[in-house]
This record gives sequence, C-alpha cells and structure tokens, in this order.
Amino acid sequence: MMQLLINGLIAGSLAALIAGGLALVYGVLGVFNMALGQMALITGYCTWWFHQVLHLPLGISVICGLIVGGLVSWFVFEIFVNPFYKRHRFLPLVTTIALSMILDGLILLIFEEQPHAIIPGIKDTFQVMGAWVSSMQILLVLLTVLLMMIMGYVLHSTSFGRKIRAVVQHDQAAMSLGIKAPLLHRYIFIMSGVLAGLGGIYLGIDQSLTPVFAFPITIKAYAAIIAGGKGNIWGAILCAYLIAFLEQFAVGIHWFGLFYIPAGYQQAVALLFIIFFLLFRPNGLFAGRARTA
Amino acid sequence: MDFFLHIIVLIGTFLPTILGYNLVFGKGKILHFGPMGVSVITGYCFIVTLKSTGSFSLAILSGLIAVTLISLLFAWLSLRLNQDAFGVMSIAVHLSALAVVLNWNSLTRGALGIPQIPRPEFLSSVADFAIAAIILSIVTVYIVRKIDKSSFGRQLQALAEHEWHAKSLGIDRNRVHVLAFIICGIGIFLSNLIYLPYLTLLHPNDYQFAGMVFYVMIVVAGMPGSVWGATLSTVLLLALREAVRFAPLSASVLGPVRLMLFGFILFVAVYYRRDTLFPKQRSI
Amino acid sequence: MKRLLAPLFALGILLSACSPTADNGTGPIKIGFIGPLTGDANTYGSDTYNGAQMKVDEINEAGGINGRLIEFIVEDARCTGTDAASAAQKLINIDKVVAINGGQCSGETLAVAPIAESAKVPIISGGSTSPDVTTAGDFVFRNIPSDALAAGATASYLQENGLTAIALITENTDFAIGFRNSLIENMGEDSVVFNELVEPGTKDFRTLLTRLQDAEFDAFIANGQSVAVEAAMAMQFRELGLDHPIFSNNAVVSASLSEIAGEAVEGLKVVMPPSEGADANKFDTFAAEFTALHGPAASSMTYAANSYDIMGLLAKAIAEVGTDGIAIRDYLYGLDGYDGTVGRFSFDQNGDVVGIALELQEVQDGVFVKVSDIAVE
Repeated sequence: MMQLLINGLIAGSLAALIAGGLALVYGVLGVFNMALGQMALITGYCTWWFHQVLHLPLGISVICGLIVGGLVSWFVFEIFVNPFYKRHRFLPLVTTIALSMILDGLILLIFEEQPHAIIPGIKDTFQVMGAWVSSMQILLVLLTVLLMMIMGYVLHSTSFGRKIRAVVQHDQAAMSLGIKAPLLHRYIFIMSGVLAGLGGIYLGIDQSLTPVFAFPITIKAYAAIIAGGKGNIWGAILCAYLIAFLEQFAVGIHWFGLFYIPAGYQQAVALLFIIFFLLFRPNGLFAGRARTA
Repeated sequence: MDFFLHIIVLIGTFLPTILGYNLVFGKGKILHFGPMGVSVITGYCFIVTLKSTGSFSLAILSGLIAVTLISLLFAWLSLRLNQDAFGVMSIAVHLSALAVVLNWNSLTRGALGIPQIPRPEFLSSVADFAIAAIILSIVTVYIVRKIDKSSFGRQLQALAEHEWHAKSLGIDRNRVHVLAFIICGIGIFLSNLIYLPYLTLLHPNDYQFAGMVFYVMIVVAGMPGSVWGATLSTVLLLALREAVRFAPLSASVLGPVRLMLFGFILFVAVYYRRDTLFPKQRSI
Repeated sequence: MKRLLAPLFALGILLSACSPTADNGTGPIKIGFIGPLTGDANTYGSDTYNGAQMKVDEINEAGGINGRLIEFIVEDARCTGTDAASAAQKLINIDKVVAINGGQCSGETLAVAPIAESAKVPIISGGSTSPDVTTAGDFVFRNIPSDALAAGATASYLQENGLTAIALITENTDFAIGFRNSLIENMGEDSVVFNELVEPGTKDFRTLLTRLQDAEFDAFIANGQSVAVEAAMAMQFRELGLDHPIFSNNAVVSASLSEIAGEAVEGLKVVMPPSEGADANKFDTFAAEFTALHGPAASSMTYAANSYDIMGLLAKAIAEVGTDGIAIRDYLYGLDGYDGTVGRFSFDQNGDVVGIALELQEVQDGVFVKVSDIAVE
C-alpha cells in the first residue's frame, strides 16, 4: 500500500510538473499546445546528447538541455502561437498539431529510432517505510514541491504574479491597466516549455526516451487541466496527481477483494473517470466562480 | 492501373467521413476530435457481427445502431461540456475506445486484428470497389450539399457564429448539434462499409490518433464548412499522400520527411485560413 | 484555386515520370520493401530496412543477379493496413516489382496478402508472427518462426529447470500476445500465477510489479515487444528488490537493451534463432557488420537478420528461375534449404518457415551470449 502511494506520488509529480506550466499557459493565453510532449522529448534528447555523446557532466547537460528547451519554446511561440492566438485561441491548437508532426519527423531524423537513456542501468534503491524508492525519485518529488512552492510564492506574493493573475481573470482589463500582457504571454509560454522539458529529462533519466512517447504526455496533461477547471492552476496540479493516483490504484488495488482492473485499461480508467466527473461538474472539479465579460 | 483505382477507392471511401466531419468541425465549429473513435467502434461492431453471423444486412444494422449510439454519446458530451473540455475529452473517448478494442481479446482479437473480411458478391475486384466508391462519393456530395443548403445547415452555421444570438432566434442547439453528430456518424459508417471489405482487414493500428490529424488537415485545408472545398482537398491531399511515395528520397529519410511535409502543409493551410477557420472572437 | 491545383500538376509530372512496364529481361530487377519507417513501430522498420539494404548492396557490388542489378524500392507502411495496401498497390502495379520483402507488422502483411495474391507476386515477411499469416494466401511466406516455436521451447526450458510458477507481463502487441498465448498453452494455465496485459509503450510498471512482491513465483517473463518497454520492465523489477530470473522473447534482442537497462538485464534469458545446423558464426558476423554500419539494432537483430536473409533468398530464387512470380513461388515451396544467417530454413505448404533451430541466450556483461542449444519438437 505504501509502495502504491509512493508510485502515485512519483507519477503524479512528473505529471504535475508538466501540467503546472501548461495550466498557466492555458489559463493566461487560453491556447492549447498539442506539441508539448514533443517539446519535452526534445529537451530530454538534447540532455541525453550532451551527457552521453559529448560526455558533459550531468548537471551541465541538464542546464544545457533546458536552455535548448527554452529556445525551442521561444521559437515555437514566435512562429506557431504568437501570429495566431490573437485571432482565435483555437488556431494554435491546429498549428501545434502541425508542429508536433514536424518535431516528430525531426526527432526521427536526428536521434533515430532506438531508445536512449540519459543515465542507463538500475538506480540505487532503498526502502522507506516498506516502499522501494531511488534517490532520483525522491529528488523529483522534492523538486516538484519546491517548484510549486516557488510558483505559489511568485503568483501570490509578487507583483509579477499579481499581473499574471490579473491577466488570467481578464486580459483586456489588465492591459488597460498598463500590464504588458503580450510580454507576459511570452514568458509564460517559455516557462511551460522549460517545465515540460524538465519532465522530459526526468523521463530520460528514470526510464528511457523513445520518439513515440509524446502524445500520451500531452493528452494526460490536458485532461488534468480541463478537470482542474479553466484558469485554476492549483486545480490542474491537483488533478494531475489525481489522475496518476487513479492509474496506480486502478491496477494496484484488489477491488472489493475480487478482481484487479486489467492493466491494459490503466489509462482509459483514469481518463473515463475524469470525463464522468466532468459530466456532473462541466466547469471542472475545482472550478471557481465563472467570470464572463 | 490498379494503383489509380486504389487511390479512387481511398478518396471515395474517405469522402463520407470527411464531409460528415466537415459539417461538425468545419461548419459547426465544434472541437470534435472523436471521429476516429466513432470509426473504430462502428468498424468493430460491423465486422464482428459480419464475422459471427455471416449476414451483411445484420452487420449493417449493428453498425448503424453502434454509430447512432456512439454519436449520441459524443453529442451529449459536447452539449454538456464547454468547447475546450469537449475537445480534450473527445480524444480521451477515442483512446478509451481503442483500449477496449485492444483488451477485449475474446471479441475483437485485440492487437491481432481481424483479417479475411468477406467481400460481398458484387464487389470483388479493385475496379468494382472503385465504381462503388465513385457512386458513393457522388451520392454523399449531393446529399451533404442538400443538407448544407437546407435550413439545418444555416442553423448550424448560426450556432457556430454566435450561439446566444442564434438561440434567441429560436434555434434549438440540442436538436441541431445532435443531428450534426449523427450525420457525421453515418458518414463514418458509410466509409467503413466500403473500405473494410476492400482492405479485408480490420486492425487497431489503422485507428491511431495520427489518422485523426489527417482528417483535421483535410477539413482545414479545404476551407472549413465548404462542401466543395472539403471534397477538393480530400482528393488533392490523398493524392499527394500517395504521390510522396514517388519522391526521390532515400528510404531512411522518406518517412520522417513525409511526416514533416504534412506538418508543414497543415501549418500553411492554417496560416491561409487563419481568419475563417474559427469565427472571429468578439471582445468588449 | 491556383494554389490548390499546383500539387495536382506535380502529381501528374511524377506519375508520368515512371514508366509502368513489366519485367522485360533487361535492366535492373525490382524488389519491393514494405515496413513501418515511421509511426509507433518504426524500430522494426528501420532494422529490417537496414538489413535488407545491406544484402542488396552486397549483391549489387558483386555484380547483381546474373549481371542484372537489384533496384530496391522501399515503401513506408507505418504499421497500418491502409498504408500497407497503398504501398503494395504502388509496388505491384506501378513499379512492377518481382517480389516484396514485407510487410513487417502482421497488420501490414495481412493487408498486402490479398493484393499480392491477385497479382501473383510472392511476398516474404521477416517480422509477422500472427497465426493469421499462415492462411493469408498462397504467395505469402515468412521466415520468422511463429510465436509458438520459441514460446514452446521457452516453456519446456522453464519446466525442465523447475521454474513452474511464472509471472507474466505482456505488452499488448501482436507478437507479444502470440508469445504469451503459446507460452500459457505450453505451461498450463495453473503455472501462470500473474498475467497482465499492458498498453503498448507503457513504461511505468511499478504498481504492477509491486503486486509481484507478495506473489509466489519462480521466474518473471518480461514479454515486451520493444526495447524501451523491456528495459523499463527489467529495471523496475530489479529496483523493487526482486531477484527472480527474468526471461524474455526474441523481439528485444538488441545491444540497446543493456545500454539502457545495464545490470538490470544481466542474466536475462531468451530463446531465439539461430543455432546449430547453420554456420554458428554467420549470425555474429552479420550482427557485427550491421552494428558497424548502423549502430545497435533498434528493436532486435533477429529482425534485421531475417530481412537480410529474405533478400538473399529472393536473389537466389530469381537467379535460378527468373522473374516470374509463379515460378518464384514454386521455387520457394520446393526449397530444399537456404543457408541464411539465422540458420538453414525452408517453407512448409503454408509458407511458414521450418528448420530454424533455436538456442538459449543470456545477457552476460551486456552482450547476448549463447548458453545452450534448444531442441525443437
């Protein structure tokens, strides 16, 4: 049972890392980024390349990888999002689908098909309260908590955060008060790319990177965001954890002492659960008061 | 020659799906990413019945029932959820449908797929299928154009442009959208009806999300909502997809390059359609 | 409108550039390839393509088949039936290929089979293990043993060594499912204490494996179809402190496996071709050459070797009976034995391969080494 909770915590932290930044993008810009999984993979692959091919130390590789990830996000924002999202916020949804195809092709061309691991082999594990964990996993959970604390502090206690929250609530009203919303949008988009990249790096360290892994990452992050309620960053993070726990519990618990849910339905169960709840609370599980113009 | 007939079959069997989808996504502006999910469920109901009873009429009946039910489910979801949530959730429903197909081994044979689907007697060669596909596409284009020009088409468009105004004019959103989803579903069923016996194989790999992206691309490229635009872009993009096979590129590069080429086409299509793809958002 | 018509013109030009003529006895001999070069299964596509291209290059450098070079025409089918059917129509009706190496995924082969059948073009698959391929048609061959063979041998090895209670995690793909089904059949339902099917590409097995901590079993069968999945299974199994022996299937025999999973796959055992009867070094030589050219196999070296053998076999058939499809088919059915890298093999009346011997391999210091030969019943 303890192991189950830890597993959920690890998977959830990874999902929260990716969904957190994305929720901000969705809340502030209102756009979908369907190429998020590919952007995460590119950061992961670059880190692998720096570490395993150029043999740079891990820390420097991670930083270099994140820089590349940030640059890619910036580029993506300028080409695929910025010219479109002011016309209609659904346009980037389609342009980023196009981008995801282009990035998929690029990943195949540059890094080829075989899987790559940033740190190969077994990670040293030890037992904590009867559950096996590795130091990397603890690092991930702590890092996620730390990042969320920073995010919380920035959002709620700095003027930058107040600006962001103002834009989330009503960006035109915020702009009329002199907040430079477009600049803010750019920062937030790049930040979400970097956070997703961090997720990609973690995947590359904990498991391995393959070109086909991108789509499930994206869709689960969005399920969390939708379930969390629009513009509700904490709701999205909570739902990311919720989905992860659901996935682990679905296959890990002996339901009513009778049966296990077949592992093949692991993802479907979590997604259907979210849909089911949305039918009763169409604005998300943690939706605040809806604001209209 | 058979290759050209094959492309005609592809185009003819793509059209009903695309035209139906064009009605929902192109004209109705409903962020529906579930047609592949509808297609996989319909396809499996149709073929499993066909394989177990051997009767085409029973199989068609079960396919039609399945497509109506799943379309109603999608319609209900779309009425219940807001646009964004429905977009994501329709993908989730599609993935869940695939998971069921993959895991329900005793019924669907899971990852093995169902091979050796029987063909009806009057359809045996590629040429037969090509004729059937041409007839099917002419009929579909004609009917969908009728629908498009009817008051139903205008109501759908009105709802897409401004829901509140449309409602205040007495347009019943529930009725119009449910109908749109069902028309789309029937289009998908017609595609499956011809295509699966033609391919003689039903395999879950044919229903991945990548296929859905191709639908979106065709609708976006062909001026969303326009029947002729969608028809033309179906013909051109499918022909292009097969024509890329003739590109003088080394095989190890060709696959990724094709992927990137289509990504680029989609991007360019959106760029040209950026003002008409979705109606202009109104701000205060 | 002009914008939309441009691709149409391009298409016309492309189509008129290729002349659809049947093989006339001169010029290069055309052989087609169908496999997943993109999409979720791209690893098999790249391995089989690279293996086939290696053989084609060797033949062409040696002067071709009876003085005629091979023109190798490659089509991507993305592991889907739709693309495979289009690829086959193009290869058969436009390029007029003599024979096809492919498809690799069972779904591809099953979609290509009826087209090849009506055009009388023999196809040989090096990767399709689905039982349906057996009855797919008269012109359909495969030189990969069906799952039953390797799974049966694995089962008898397990039983001989007293490993009677097994825990099984299977990736939900056609190869792995077939392997699972024959393994269960051979072991008996009762000896499978844990049997789960996971979505293709799953990489988080921690919770499933947690359930194993409380289970009583002798051996763990990590039945994945891709190296990444296999590596994740083995790593997480060991990270949870489980020390049972791990067995796998031959779809994951690649140097990348231990590159990723490291010591987690040390001692991992696999029953796989080739073995005695064949030149034992042939496979190793091939594997070394392949690795020098393309790096480690993305999926499994066996797939590359099968594809390499298919090209060799087709070249031999064409050299002896010419380019007629029916003659090649009859030659393949009557084949006494072809000495390939995976062993000396021929085909039975269904076009399934016979004669491929198996051996037990184990990962030692990061490489697969032969432990013993395995008797095949």
